[in-house]
Amino acid sequence: MTGIRPLSPGDPAGPGVLGGKGHGLVTLMRLGLPVPPGFVIPPAACRAYLRDGTFPDGLDAAARDLRAALVSVRSGAAVSMPGMMDTFLDVDPRSADLRAAVEAVFSSWLLPRAVTYRELHGIPHDLGTAVVVQAMVSGDRDEHSGSGVAFSRDPSTGARHPYGDVLFERPGTDVVSGRVATRPLGELEQREPAVWAALLDGLDRVERHYRDVCHVEFTFESGRLWFLQVRPGGLAGRAAVRVAVDLADERIIDRATAVRRVSARQIRAARTPRILITDDLDVIARGTGASPGVATGRIAVTADRAARMAADGPVILVRPHTSPLDMHGLAAAAGIVTTVGGPTSHAAVVARAMGKAAIVGAAGLTVDLASGQILTSGRTLPEGVLITIDGTGGELVAGTAETTTDESGSHLDRLLAWAASADTALSP
Amino acid sequence: MTDLLVLHTLRCLGFTDPARVADAAALTEADAESRLIDLAVEGLVTRTPGPFGGWGLTEAGKSEDARLVAAELAAAGTRDAVTGAFERFLVLNPELLDLCTAWHMRPVHGVTEVNDHTDAGYDARVLARFADLDRRAADVCADLGTALPRFARYRERLTAALARATAGELEHLADTTTSYHNVWFQLHEDLLVTLGIPR
Repeated sequence: MTGIRPLSPGDPAGPGVLGGKGHGLVTLMRLGLPVPPGFVIPPAACRAYLRDGTFPDGLDAAARDLRAALVSVRSGAAVSMPGMMDTFLDVDPRSADLRAAVEAVFSSWLLPRAVTYRELHGIPHDLGTAVVVQAMVSGDRDEHSGSGVAFSRDPSTGARHPYGDVLFERPGTDVVSGRVATRPLGELEQREPAVWAALLDGLDRVERHYRDVCHVEFTFESGRLWFLQVRPGGLAGRAAVRVAVDLADERIIDRATAVRRVSARQIRAARTPRILITDDLDVIARGTGASPGVATGRIAVTADRAARMAADGPVILVRPHTSPLDMHGLAAAAGIVTTVGGPTSHAAVVARAMGKAAIVGAAGLTVDLASGQILTSGRTLPEGVLITIDGTGGELVAGTAETTTDESGSHLDRLLAWAASADTALSP
Repeated sequence: MTDLLVLHTLRCLGFTDPARVADAAALTEADAESRLIDLAVEGLVTRTPGPFGGWGLTEAGKSEDARLVAAELAAAGTRDAVTGAFERFLVLNPELLDLCTAWHMRPVHGVTEVNDHTDAGYDARVLARFADLDRRAADVCADLGTALPRFARYRERLTAALARATAGELEHLADTTTSYHNVWFQLHEDLLVTLGIPR
């Protein structure tokens, strides 16, 4: 099973041969959803290459058959290892670059970060990765192009509406980089109604197929939507509880399945204090929850100010990013917000070490150090203004906010009742 | 002559107390404090009182430190070696952050939760990966120490932090002001300041 396989809806192979990404793409095709043409080099070819340098036959022919001017070359292990291996975009399929890119993806299986990821997630080291080569679709081609990511339901609350980020006239790499301020997914509806309709249809189909909430990556090129990845599941805490109960109510899964899906750990996580989400809540921005907990305090935009202001009451330190030079401010603050960076950034690591609520990557915010205020599209919040942050859901709201440990109460109660009546013990 | 050892140590620590300056610069606490007072007289550092107070550089102190450090590098004639080591440091940096995150949070049955350190097997795997990273970091630190001798102190401090964590004082990986994570970040800051790269 080292041979190259075209991406085809008829391919019966599983993730062990196609890799997780390749298997998802074949599933999307089977559901009638648009996927750029491409082929998969199975993990067995990676293993052979890493063992003795053997390179799979037929790469040039497979690339020629794509008839694409440019291709993408991505890793796709049987078990998801997001961001740990190499990706190459805009590769000329008729050049030696293609073979070099495939070899680089094979070799990236052995990168120390990837090794660490496997160690910590209990993934065997001898699996190897598949390589997915596809015709490039460009999110930056024209004004009717763009890229985005979408969950079929809100990953923070589990509520039944699509949630995600989109960038117009930009490639997908910009969406996941965290360095560019993305737009809320809903903006697609006004700007590209046909793409929006196709996306909703696709999300509905993948949910029904996987019988679970799904996450997709997509690009639209000149008004035409393409799916680049699908992954089921992945929600935690109260969102996982709500989705399991709602899916049972929608008769997509039965109650026993709903009970089986939610572990005792998920239920414990569902009880972490959160901001009570209400309709009149003034949500200023949303980022990634990086250290759980809810904190209320006055905005400070430098570590020095945070340290001084903390003597008069709780402070939320809002920074573009943090460094060791901000340690005194981090120590003094009740909560931390950064506008760039992800869950492994300095701010996130320090906040967790100190047990403080933190949001990272709140890309909709700008910190204006010169004027000592934070800016969002359309409003200005000076230093000293009271805000509340939720380090689980990533919400930043004006003023104080009610907190709750059982917002999913009715969902949780129902799930527990189903578990009791079925006499099905929750898994650990 | 300006006391570059203490000035630059405080520059990379940011804002702190004399005990940490003493630890980082291998001085006694009394000596560190006395030298900080001398720098304050020169207008290069200042002490903020209060519960979250401490010592930090003034704007004049920051520019004087940048000037002196640039002159030191020029005199040593090792900019290329430091730049090369910095590039290799940047390859290791995401790994260090991954490991600190893995230390604080762990994926269990699809839920990322706070690592409560009750699973000794998991903690041992993280610690083993720290040790592996540290072996590769040692090469970078050795090259830095050759290029500019003051960098040798980081190797000692990183080794000390890892040794304490390995001996069971687990907070020395990522949870104290002298932890591996903290020393690593001071090294990062030092490299940026030394090469004159804005953060």
